[in-house]
Amino acid sequence: MEKFLTVLDSASDALTSGFLITAFVSAAAVLCGAILGVVFGLALTYGGRLASLPFRIVVDVVRGTPVLVLILATYYMPSGIGFSPGPITAGLVALTVFCAAHVGETLRGALRAIPSAQTDAASAIGLTFGQTLSYVLMPQAIRQIAPNFVNTAVEIVKASSLLSAIGVGELLLTTQEVIGRSYLTMEFYALCGLLYLLLNLGIGAGGWWLERRFRIQ
Amino acid sequence: MTPILTIKNLTKTFGASAVLRGVDLEVFPRDVISIIGASGSGKTTLLRCIDLLEEFDSGEIRLDGEILGYRDKGGRHRRLPGRELARQRARMGMVFQSYNLFPHLTAAQNIMLGLRKVRGMATAEARAVAEGWLDRVGLADRRDHHPSALSGGQQQRVAIARALAMEPRLVLLDEVTSALDPELVQEVLLTIRGLAEAGTTMLIVTHEMRFARQVSTRVVFMDGGAVREQGPPNEIFGNPKAQRLRDFLANVSH
Repeated sequence: MEKFLTVLDSASDALTSGFLITAFVSAAAVLCGAILGVVFGLALTYGGRLASLPFRIVVDVVRGTPVLVLILATYYMPSGIGFSPGPITAGLVALTVFCAAHVGETLRGALRAIPSAQTDAASAIGLTFGQTLSYVLMPQAIRQIAPNFVNTAVEIVKASSLLSAIGVGELLLTTQEVIGRSYLTMEFYALCGLLYLLLNLGIGAGGWWLERRFRIQ
Repeated sequence: MTPILTIKNLTKTFGASAVLRGVDLEVFPRDVISIIGASGSGKTTLLRCIDLLEEFDSGEIRLDGEILGYRDKGGRHRRLPGRELARQRARMGMVFQSYNLFPHLTAAQNIMLGLRKVRGMATAEARAVAEGWLDRVGLADRRDHHPSALSGGQQQRVAIARALAMEPRLVLLDEVTSALDPELVQEVLLTIRGLAEAGTTMLIVTHEMRFARQVSTRVVFMDGGAVREQGPPNEIFGNPKAQRLRDFLANVSH
């Protein structure tokens, strides 16, 4: 225990930095992924057969591929065309696209599930399609997909640990480095797991609060 | 007197079946027209074509002289772009059988949405107008309730207020009491009667024959996708001429 505290004290800066990179990469991927996911969802729902096809392909490929493969591909494949993104950029892009594919697919389902009578009613008072989307359909769809979105955010946080494979100094990689020097395997994997758990419990609590806040009584 | 709405030879087919086979109808200011007829006679489709929720194949609908929904371009009949359709729809109100309130908005917000986004009112003004209409349909104390906290009759009265608050040239009501429990029908019919007495121009598709007789200035009988007979309620119910109308009236209690 004493040794653990000594090592923890000397490694605390590295672990804090790892934790912050995990939090930052996850938050950025969730945020960008949500925005891109809305574009995906709208294109899949209203794009018609031709315009939605590229989005359909991306979504199906991303959802049918392990996240680790996606990350490695994003990191190593561009160098084939003479362009090499840094590990953080590549990781961020991979996680963003992963998030967007999931958000896009659930949003499509939620929009499709809203009865066409809602669109009729919005049209009848003279709303344009854009207004109908903004004020009638999206507010209902977003409430519908909120629980699913919280799950996706948790998945992103967990998937961010895979960025250790391409050398991003996030929480898992930092932990492994500390273990490599101290041999306190159990203690530091437990600490690492606990930090991921705290992050995800925080997301869960935030989602729960938002859901209560916007619930239709 | 010039008509508000003129429909000439309107036709529409769904796949192989013709739903409207040449409908002609004129609606004048302060007309309260009940459209009656058997299921499948094209009543609801007619209303949805007028409100541009449904495309039609041929014929013409004019609102205050302006052709609705289409324009002729290079000799071809073209559907108007969405923005134009929205502008034309805003001049008519429609109330649906299943109310179709927006579930995420309160009663007042349901009415305010069109006032703010279509008529460009500031929020405070829109709220005042919405509350005035909720008061008129007897729901002043329900303005901050979501639709799920309202009875069917109350929801339908909010839907009527939502349509009327836009100050439409005419209001289309599509079987607005058909989805209601019997004890809730009267409150909605009373609301519509109040509008009729206030001079609102209305086209009412209904199965409530007694109500049609009491409230209408004219009754239109549709059969096989066309207007088979029309006239004052006393004529239509008291002295029906077409055999199909006589058969229809014999089959419904009125």
